[in-house]
Amino acid sequence: MTVGFYQHRESSVHRLNPLTKLTLAVAVVIAAFAVPLTWWPAALFLVVLVPAVLAARVPARFAALTVKFVGPLLVAVFLVQGLFFPGEGAELARLGPISVKAEGLAFAAQTATRLLVLIGAFLFLLLTTHPGVLMNAMVQRGLPPNISYVVSATLQIVPAFRERAQHILRAQQARGMATGGGLRRRIGVLLPLIGPLALGALTEVEERAVAMEARAFGATGRRTSLMPVPDTTAQRLARWGLAAFAAATIVANALGVFA
Amino acid sequence: MIELDDFSYAYPTGSRPALRSLRLAVPAGQLCGVVGPSGAGKSTFAHALAGFIPHALGGETAGRVVVGGRTVADTPLPDLVRDVGLVLQNPFNQISGVKFTVREELAFGLENLGVPQEEMVRRVDAVLAELRIEGLADRSPYQLSGGQQQLVALGSVLVMRPSVLVLDEPTSQLDPVGSGQVFDAVRALHRAGVTIVLVEHKLERLAEIADRVLVLRHGEVALDGPPATVLADPRLADWGVAGTRYTAAARLARERGLWPEDRDLPVTLDAAVAGFRAVTGGVESR
Amino acid sequence: MIRIDSLVYRYPTGVTALDGVSLRVEPGERVALIGRNGAGKTTLARHLNGILRPTAGSVHVDGWDTAEHTVAELAAKVGYLFQNPDEQLFARTVAEEVAFGPRNLGYPGDRRARLVRRALEDTRLTGLEEVHPYQLSLAERKRVALAAVLAMDTPILVLDEPTTGADHAGVRDVAAAVSELAGRGRTVLAVTHDMDFCAENFDRIVVLAGGRIVRDGSPDEVFRAGADLAQAGVEPPQLMRLSEALGWSRPATTVDAFVDRLASR
Repeated sequence: MTVGFYQHRESSVHRLNPLTKLTLAVAVVIAAFAVPLTWWPAALFLVVLVPAVLAARVPARFAALTVKFVGPLLVAVFLVQGLFFPGEGAELARLGPISVKAEGLAFAAQTATRLLVLIGAFLFLLLTTHPGVLMNAMVQRGLPPNISYVVSATLQIVPAFRERAQHILRAQQARGMATGGGLRRRIGVLLPLIGPLALGALTEVEERAVAMEARAFGATGRRTSLMPVPDTTAQRLARWGLAAFAAATIVANALGVFA
Repeated sequence: MIELDDFSYAYPTGSRPALRSLRLAVPAGQLCGVVGPSGAGKSTFAHALAGFIPHALGGETAGRVVVGGRTVADTPLPDLVRDVGLVLQNPFNQISGVKFTVREELAFGLENLGVPQEEMVRRVDAVLAELRIEGLADRSPYQLSGGQQQLVALGSVLVMRPSVLVLDEPTSQLDPVGSGQVFDAVRALHRAGVTIVLVEHKLERLAEIADRVLVLRHGEVALDGPPATVLADPRLADWGVAGTRYTAAARLARERGLWPEDRDLPVTLDAAVAGFRAVTGGVESR
Repeated sequence: MIRIDSLVYRYPTGVTALDGVSLRVEPGERVALIGRNGAGKTTLARHLNGILRPTAGSVHVDGWDTAEHTVAELAAKVGYLFQNPDEQLFARTVAEEVAFGPRNLGYPGDRRARLVRRALEDTRLTGLEEVHPYQLSLAERKRVALAAVLAMDTPILVLDEPTTGADHAGVRDVAAAVSELAGRGRTVLAVTHDMDFCAENFDRIVVLAGGRIVRDGSPDEVFRAGADLAQAGVEPPQLMRLSEALGWSRPATTVDAFVDRLASR
């Protein structure tokens, strides 16, 4: 079964502690947004994320998903920022009331590459990190089990929920309910779909709560883990380094280094 | 092992008590079947033994439930799970949803209890072997058949080594193959000495493995005794419990003078074979 | 009434669920589809009201090619009882719930009222018309779902696991409905794991294994022990097992038939 975006591979990146990858992703994103140099986010993407993705042996999936998520944003950003940039400046081309300015394009490029880093960094994390392992690592670092439960369960239960919505739709169609047509009919269709979905979810939640309690989920003592997530001193140092790097970019920007 | 001392219970929203003055004891190692029509209180009974009544579901109780020497109402739920394991009807709703392999799913309760890792690995391996599901260890719990999921649900309470196991209609959502797997596991646990309370409506299966059967009706014990007596009782049908076809056939045969009045009615295949052989003198039918 | 020709169905994942199934069912026939999980029973049943469309081959119900009609249109021909009542019950009252199908099918008010009343009677829900379905037990909700399908008054009825989760009384209701419908010339097809229920209420049993029909005949013929039956994951009804254990050359599958054979000994 596929869980979220996770792609299983034998790679050193996959074996890293999930917190290291999480720290890397967050640090790169902070750095990309903190530094106002136009070329900077693109450099981060090419120098940090691309090699990391290659080392993790997931380049094809990464490329496909990046295009899928960033592509539409890219188009929107260039249309809005590139064509309707309000500032003064050299005009490169003009079409009726629309003028294309160099500054607008530069600003659009920066916004677009920042989004590219944002999405790329988290895709890198999700493609190479099993959500279960990530949650394990977070709980071991003190994340309350309830929060971990909500995140992990959502990942697995949402597909099941979607499947149930399909079942309900079919069941009502099998009772002669037509789903196409005008707005009024579409609204009339909602109750027979949402009613069973919501009530079914309620019953399920009740039963699931009992099943969880039967496995001592309510215990308050210290928890242990079947699969402790391995960590190394080198990785701990690397995480501090990444945090320091991210902090440095913010401080440098605040001090006006890039102005 | 289990004692109910004049125990009564009413749900917070219920107008009538769901369980009325239950007085009974289940000795260690017994496999006690529970049958009854829907609404008789079978599920409530199971939840009361496992402590969900009163701890999780609230409501009014009177009298006591004692399991393994501990009064259920005075023991917090997370402590009770070491004494009583509860398995529910729907296998899907018992999957935690937070674990991505069967092995981790089985360990979930032990993690919550803070059992050391080496001990956890040992217990999980032991349960995988006991239920003969080693082959599923690395699969996702969501990829399993209903029967396999129910074995995992059973295993995930067994790892906590409860002295009592309560199963609330564990096979009602399963096909015959899945039901067979669950019954085989229950039989093996019974042989290993676990005290088991099994709410079940597949009477022909229950008749073969139970030491004793309780019939619940309107929250009271209507009948209590060995399966051969209880499941052959003529009142069962009036109470909305279908007996086995073996019993029904012998009863009809008796009405038509083909089965002696003084011979007990069979509830299992073996008893039916022996009974009808004796009745027909072993003669082949034409 | 039902005509299935060389039906092949492959899931989008590439798994072949039905591998050349041909079946004809006449009006008034009561057919049970049995076999282990994954044998293709539900996949086959879902072709009858167009929820699934053939990859190859064709399915006709009451003269309609299912490939040419929507599920909602096919509802006029085929009533389909789903296994889980909670995936369909939504109305505030039992009566509204049961009236939903007939209303969708555009039946006039008086016919609708008659059908609803009768369906409620047949499932012993009279008196519970104004109750919210979710105040009922699962076994009762199962009866509401059955009533909702009966009220659609279709020439064909498909029942998916009608006895799973039903209590003794619920099973009797289903059994009574099946024989009553067949008596009125309706075609009933049920997917079930309950072999005793099958033997007692259906005149034809179709065994599926690996997406093909491996046996098709009366309960007495189909349930005779054999390697293919065991392979299909089918455990014969209790009385079939008993009569075979007794070494009877003509086994029985129901209580009445068993005692009749005993008497004629």
